[in-house]
Amino acid sequence: MDLNHIRNICIIAHIDHGKSTLADRLLQITGTVTEREMKEQLLDSMELEREKGVTIKASAVRMIHRWQGEEYAIHLIDTPGHVDFTYEVRRALQACEGAILVVDATQGIQAQTMAHLFAALEQDLVILPVINKIDLPAAMPDDVAQEIEELLGVPGEEIPRISAKTGHNVEQVLERVIQEVPPPQGRPDAPLQALVFDCQYDPYKGVIAYVRVFNGRVQGTPRMQAMGTGREMEPLEVGVLTPAMVPTHRLGTGEVGYIATGLKTVQDLDVGDTITLAENPAPEPLPGYEPMKPMVFAGLYPSNPDDYEDLRDALEKLQLNDAALVYEPEVSQALGYGFRLGFLGLFHMEIVQERLEREYGLDVIFTAPSVAYRVIRTDGTELLIRSPAELPEPTQIDHIQEPWCRVHIFTPAEYIGPIMDLVTKRRGEVKNQNWLDSKRVELVYEMPLAEILVDFYNELKARTRGYASMDYELSGYRPSDLVKLDILVNGQPVDALSVIVHRQDAYRKGQKLVSRMKEIIPRQLFEVPIQAAIGNKVISRANVKALRKDVLAKCYGGDVTRKRKLLERQKAGKKRMKMVGSVEIPQEAFMSVLRLGDED
Amino acid sequence: MNPHTLLPEPPPMVALEPPEDPRRDRSGRARCSGQPLGLYIHIPFCLERCPYCDFNTYAGLDHLFEPYVDALVAELQGWAQALGHPRVDTVFLGGGTPTVLPSRLLARILESVAQAYRLEPGCEITSEANPGTGDRPRFAALRSLGINRLSMGAQSFQAHELRFLGRGHGPEDVVRAFRAARAAGFENINLDFIFGLPEQAPEDWADTLDQALALAPEHLSLYSLMVEPHTPLFHWVQRGRVSPPDDDRAAWLYEMALDRLEGAGYIQYEISNWARTHQAQGDPAAQPTYACRHNLHYWRNEEYLGVGAGACGHLCRGAPPLAWRPEALHGIRWENHRPVAGYIRRIQDRGHAVRTQDPISPAMAMAESMMLGLRLVREGVSRERFARRHSRGLDQVYGAPIAELEQEGLVEWVGDCLRLTRRGLLLGNRVAMAFLPD
Ligand SMILES: Nc1nc2c(ncn2[C@@H]2O[C@H](COP(=O)(O)OP(=O)(O)O)[C@@H](O)[C@H]2O)c(=O)[nH]1
Ligand code: SF4
Repeated sequence: MDLNHIRNICIIAHIDHGKSTLADRLLQITGTVTEREMKEQLLDSMELEREKGVTIKASAVRMIHRWQGEEYAIHLIDTPGHVDFTYEVRRALQACEGAILVVDATQGIQAQTMAHLFAALEQDLVILPVINKIDLPAAMPDDVAQEIEELLGVPGEEIPRISAKTGHNVEQVLERVIQEVPPPQGRPDAPLQALVFDCQYDPYKGVIAYVRVFNGRVQGTPRMQAMGTGREMEPLEVGVLTPAMVPTHRLGTGEVGYIATGLKTVQDLDVGDTITLAENPAPEPLPGYEPMKPMVFAGLYPSNPDDYEDLRDALEKLQLNDAALVYEPEVSQALGYGFRLGFLGLFHMEIVQERLEREYGLDVIFTAPSVAYRVIRTDGTELLIRSPAELPEPTQIDHIQEPWCRVHIFTPAEYIGPIMDLVTKRRGEVKNQNWLDSKRVELVYEMPLAEILVDFYNELKARTRGYASMDYELSGYRPSDLVKLDILVNGQPVDALSVIVHRQDAYRKGQKLVSRMKEIIPRQLFEVPIQAAIGNKVISRANVKALRKDVLAKCYGGDVTRKRKLLERQKAGKKRMKMVGSVEIPQEAFMSVLRLGDED
Repeated sequence: MNPHTLLPEPPPMVALEPPEDPRRDRSGRARCSGQPLGLYIHIPFCLERCPYCDFNTYAGLDHLFEPYVDALVAELQGWAQALGHPRVDTVFLGGGTPTVLPSRLLARILESVAQAYRLEPGCEITSEANPGTGDRPRFAALRSLGINRLSMGAQSFQAHELRFLGRGHGPEDVVRAFRAARAAGFENINLDFIFGLPEQAPEDWADTLDQALALAPEHLSLYSLMVEPHTPLFHWVQRGRVSPPDDDRAAWLYEMALDRLEGAGYIQYEISNWARTHQAQGDPAAQPTYACRHNLHYWRNEEYLGVGAGACGHLCRGAPPLAWRPEALHGIRWENHRPVAGYIRRIQDRGHAVRTQDPISPAMAMAESMMLGLRLVREGVSRERFARRHSRGLDQVYGAPIAELEQEGLVEWVGDCLRLTRRGLLLGNRVAMAFLPD
């Protein structure tokens, strides 16, 4: 297909604004899939998922559309839906020349829309705004059009008003794509440069790279190379996505398709890398590549030590198609054998946690998440630590730096006050305040990543009755006055309870942790002091009183069996607790670090 | 695997439907060891249900008195036959409130016991009684049936506490009933009391103890109030209408009782039980004269039959000089069907009403010896008795947990006997748990 008849686009939308519905409608109108196929395919992939324990989703699809007597190949590239995957979103955008911006006519522009929109503008994409859900009675297409006009300078009356649900005006969107989105450019004779914008594991074909060919072309399955990592591969096949994988033996310049790389795990190939031919490599890779950098870390332990192997198997499986997930074994004095996991961000962590529990039925303990701190030692050397336990002796530390991020919050104006309060409590700095219209505002803050790690999003939602939305991106490291807060139970520091906190919060958080522990730790045979300490200095203390009475002083006749079973159950409950020294600590104690909210 | 099933359920009791005849082992022989048995007879009737009580007892079933006693007699005879008319050295009529039955029916029960079993000389025959349901002629009638020990549910000497407990009697009824029982010839009387009521005032408890001691009963049982599921009290606590009993307070009241009763010359021989004695206090492990011999069967992990609705029994093979055989190693505990009408029907249909049977492995039998034996605060568990019963050395089997408990100050050796310390008294569950298999 010649370049002039190719269009590469993606859809940008806030969650629930109708991205998937619009995509489905486009696939239908172009005859790419029939309604029946759509259902069947959904079933197929679910079955596969059940069989193999992996998820397959097409992240790009080729649609053929006739317009004015000519056939166009329109490649629709999917962008990951949530904020932790900003990097992947950017790579997907990089593969396109245009983006359809879907805005819900009842809600207007939201934070995610903005973040992705700016990213698209940075990549010089042509933005095609559409106003969706105009079939709804609450739709305010003109107000939303006004908003978009102010933002993008597109005349409001030219913006298509569509209903992805009913199909109303969707055909028009396709025409606009063909007319307004420029065709890809590239030199067919140059050495191959194919951008990997997504990669997934397929149980039959191994690692599938989703690629956009910028220069050169693929013919057959010659040996190839990923330029960023230098890894060589012997592909099994190349082809296009309809959305099923259809081998074509060739991929031309400007086209979007897949390469079955022959690699075994997604860790072997990074999103953003450039694939070239091993024999005739391109002189340099495409721009934008960065190796995966997990930013948030947490310890993960099986509740029951016997489940360690199961947990490892589950992590292995999860990693098959989650290239961003990294883990390595870790041993905690308190929790035994487990893993330290790295995530792209908080939302990513939640997804992993949920999948482990729901898909693998594992009962796990997560320790409090920590960001990656940069420790500058007194001798000038630098150390990146991912867990409070890795912090060197205070005497060896010159200073510590922590990652900061830029947070965008979109909110109705009446919540500015509560949001300011929340953000300043968490060491945030106000950067900007952009009024979108008379009622809605974008607030921009700089905040330590650690401060949004725990409960920030929920807190934000709570304070704005669910109206605010947020997005964040990392903005760099800054020196910070950080200390390690240790929790001592019965005089012994419990490694899994340590947290790194800002010195000015240490006292408050220490007190709160201590009183939380006091509630959670059951009474033991002896009085158990619980202390919060920074180094050798105890900053808060409470005692769990000794257990006075635990005896069946009841008339129970000869019913020995029932009494014995009662004791057996009590014993089983005891066994589920973690022994730290001679103290039994219930699992929830380790999670409670997560729940150090602002108010209570 | 479901992550939400947090507490592992205990292994199910072996429920055989229809149950195998529990009275015989697999080779068809009677299961008892030849030592005299205890015999528990359950009377599941009360005038009213007390709001804290979770016993298997019912109010308003008067029409079942007669058929129930018929069933009891049949069950008693069945066991006696199966076990070859065994020797019995204690009989305990418990409930419920046995004294709600007319004397005529109590007489039928005791007569059939005397016919079917070989009662040992001096056999202890106890009946529970309610202070509200007894006057002198009534007690005299009980005495004449051969009942020689009375256990009265006094519960408290404070009128407001008795009201809270939903008891139909007042403090003066206790005194009256006690005097009537004495006058009717009872020389061995126990009074039950409950402590650790929500917000119970220590002065009230002290006063209850003083009034109890003034009556000079031979035996005292002090139980701490437990909030049992499915009772009205449980719901009151759940809804916040009653504050939950406080363990610290209960511990304190208990220690108060320890001191007062000791001062009055009562000997504590079990966690909740005290008795007077005639003996000189030479042997620290000896039981006081008026210890309840029937309950000693339980605590010594000995054999007893339980008959009646929801009654429990225990038979074990293996006490020397009987031969050791693999199948004989397994003791058995069982429980009868609990609802009264169902119990009666089962007895009529198949001669017994066993609902669940719980085979006791040798390891479990040892654990039970510890769990039960350590409740006997004077006697404890002796190396000698343990070895005789289980043919294994106590130190060999439980060396490690004993050492740990010793270190925690919960148990101590007194000569050959392992006993709870004063601290261990209040932490008996902790101690017992240490011996249960994981
Ligand atoms: N009434 C109406 N509902 C729509 C329209 N488009 C999408 N929806 C509904 O909005 C919800 C979210 O749509 P979806 O496509 O899943 O949003 P996504 O999260 O952006 O992919 C779904 O319940 C859709 O049925 C529309 O044009 N009209
Ligand atoms: S009288 Fe005794 S057995 Fe009957 S209900 Fe009251 S406490 Fe329970």
